[in-house]
Amino acid sequence: MNLTWTPQERRFREEVRAFAEAGVPPELRAKVLAHQRLERDDYVRWHNILADRGWGAPSWPKEYGGTGWNALQRLIFEVECFKAGAPRLLPFGLSMIGPVLMKYGSPAQRERFLPRIIRVEDWWCQGYSEPGSGSDLASLKTRAERDGDHYVVNGQKTWTTLAQYADWMFCLVRTDTEARPQRGISMLLLDMRSPGVTVRPIRTLDGGHDVNEVWLENVRVPVENLVGEENQGWTYAKYLLGHERTGIAGLGHCHRELGVLKRMAAQAQSGGRPLLSDPRMRDRISRIEVDIMALEMLLLRVAANNGGTPGPEASVLKIRGSEIQQDLAMLQMEVAGPDAWPYDPEWMFAEADDHGPGPEMAAAAGAGYADMRKTTIYGGTTEVQKGIIARLMLGL
Amino acid sequence: MDFIYTEEQRMLADSLRRLVDQEWAFARRRARQAATALDPQAWASLAELGVLGLNIGQDYGGFGEVPASLLPVHVELGRGLVSEPVIPSAVMSAALVDAAGGPARERWLPRIASGEAILSVAYQEPGRRYDARPQDCRAAPQGGGWRLDGAKHLVWHGGAATAWLVSARAEDGETLLLAVPSDTAGVRITDTPTLDRARCARLDFDGAALPADALLARGEAAGQALAQALQWGTAALCAHAAGAMERLLEITADYLRTRKQFGQPLASFQALQHKLAEMLELVENSHAAVYYAAWALDADAADAALAASVAKSMLNESSKRVCGEAIQVHGGIGYTWEYDLHLYWKRAKHLEPLYGDTVYHRERVLEESLAQHATV
Repeated sequence: MNLTWTPQERRFREEVRAFAEAGVPPELRAKVLAHQRLERDDYVRWHNILADRGWGAPSWPKEYGGTGWNALQRLIFEVECFKAGAPRLLPFGLSMIGPVLMKYGSPAQRERFLPRIIRVEDWWCQGYSEPGSGSDLASLKTRAERDGDHYVVNGQKTWTTLAQYADWMFCLVRTDTEARPQRGISMLLLDMRSPGVTVRPIRTLDGGHDVNEVWLENVRVPVENLVGEENQGWTYAKYLLGHERTGIAGLGHCHRELGVLKRMAAQAQSGGRPLLSDPRMRDRISRIEVDIMALEMLLLRVAANNGGTPGPEASVLKIRGSEIQQDLAMLQMEVAGPDAWPYDPEWMFAEADDHGPGPEMAAAAGAGYADMRKTTIYGGTTEVQKGIIARLMLGL
Repeated sequence: MDFIYTEEQRMLADSLRRLVDQEWAFARRRARQAATALDPQAWASLAELGVLGLNIGQDYGGFGEVPASLLPVHVELGRGLVSEPVIPSAVMSAALVDAAGGPARERWLPRIASGEAILSVAYQEPGRRYDARPQDCRAAPQGGGWRLDGAKHLVWHGGAATAWLVSARAEDGETLLLAVPSDTAGVRITDTPTLDRARCARLDFDGAALPADALLARGEAAGQALAQALQWGTAALCAHAAGAMERLLEITADYLRTRKQFGQPLASFQALQHKLAEMLELVENSHAAVYYAAWALDADAADAALAASVAKSMLNESSKRVCGEAIQVHGGIGYTWEYDLHLYWKRAKHLEPLYGDTVYHRERVLEESLAQHATV
């Protein structure tokens, strides 16, 4: 047991920190810290800045144009970029379909799709959830029927994040209706510009538009865009979810928002003194800080012991990370206090200097408070994760 | 970075688990706790296995293990609710004597390692909560030695100790640390049981006379030695609590798999599954915090104080919660004196007043982290 950072790891952190502090464009940083909505070009810009540095695919092996970093380096990279106010990396290509194609995709699929992920030449979205299949994903009903060299896809996907920008969707479809639910599922790569694809926005409780409904009507997908084997899609889907869950702990996000919280509490005045000097407030901030440190140690343990591939303990990380993100948002809201009452969703899209009548951080608090309600629901709800823990870790 | 026990640590943990399973099994532990005096055999078995000399240097008859070895050892002791004075003597007092330095090391460390001496640090005073600075307990020069007056309380295993390490205030306001053998004249010992079936003592000093070499450290060095002792004690205590929580979760999961109601095992009820999943989250989180605290004791780590406070503020809360929920899901049986559960629950509660409660440590976490950020 040795929890000391090696000199190489320290140097690496310094290197990433210096790069991120200089490399994140100030206007992007301002938007991120103010919890404003990022648009397609914002994400693409940051991905390209990283790609120029050779860091466009931090979690990929070198043979696919990645950095070849180990799990600890990836974690350091995530935290330092977030602390510097960088946009999050789009997970759909880098963390979701990319690793699936590396493991299960055909050589032609790998050659065609992987290089275009790094600079977001293709924007991917995830076609998993359906109106009748949320937590019970395996009950999905979207059908794909073979017709010569094509599958013909009919159905509806929902909660599809940033599908409004997407060029491609990796899509779970039912190819065998006789088999038990998990056995009849396949994964297709679907061109979002195909005839029959309709994307409709879903407005969320914060007033924003991140998620969508995607209607699929007689969409023709060439058979070469089948991932792996027909009816084996559930295996690939689970592999992908395993990847999704480590990042979903949101450690970088937590560190950044803790910094925001402390700055807010130092600026906010109460009874002529900074709120940060109020013992009750200090106790609550400290509590979150303790939670974040423990989360970091949990993540480091997974990273150091398993090379970053978690088993069922990913469920623990997901629950803890998502709850801490909510706690941070709630406490920021309390620190903002009455200033957070005025709130117009339009401010989330406005230029960084237009954020309503209160202090800038007050509008940011409202946006974050509303937005963070999603964290305990997406990627498997807290209750689904608890079921996994009970089954796989406790043997109940 | 790696989180894996070394081969030696793993072997030590394995042998400790066997010893604890046997010697601290339900009936034996209870019989020992019912007696008011320390069981010399149990104490000797801990010394034989190397627990008491774990981190004491080989020059002083110990094993010279790295600080992080506290983790496997105290997790195992916690699993079996081992109540003997390992932490007050072999962890906290050893750390204090080592930090104070000088000839006292030669005098005390070999005897701590062998178990011959049982020490406890007497640093708390009535009415001053967790403040570690001495106030009303005074030491003054007298006839080439020292004269000690005033009171210390909540001295963990103070009644079983063969000597206490007492913090006192000098006339000029400096902190002094003095080694006081328990047979010193002019000391009244009030030994009481604690909620969690351990013991603590109040010590009243009334002109207790000590030789000159009773002084271990003074001034800043004394403050640092005391702080070091508290950090070591906190890390070990948190590991103990993490071990107790881990074991309790196993007991509870076993119970849910076997106990049937409405014709099916309790384990099949989702409400109970989720409660246990929440308990597991807390246990995992707590272990992570304790790893950090144990590792940070290493002399080179700058954030040992922060790490100890992070761990303590988390373990104070998580252990109470886990132990409380364990009683809840057991139902009536968990509420009985005969079943073991309440002992875990009481140990969890007893963790809190030792070395600082949650409010105290959270404040320290924020002070430390704000200070670190200010210097960046």
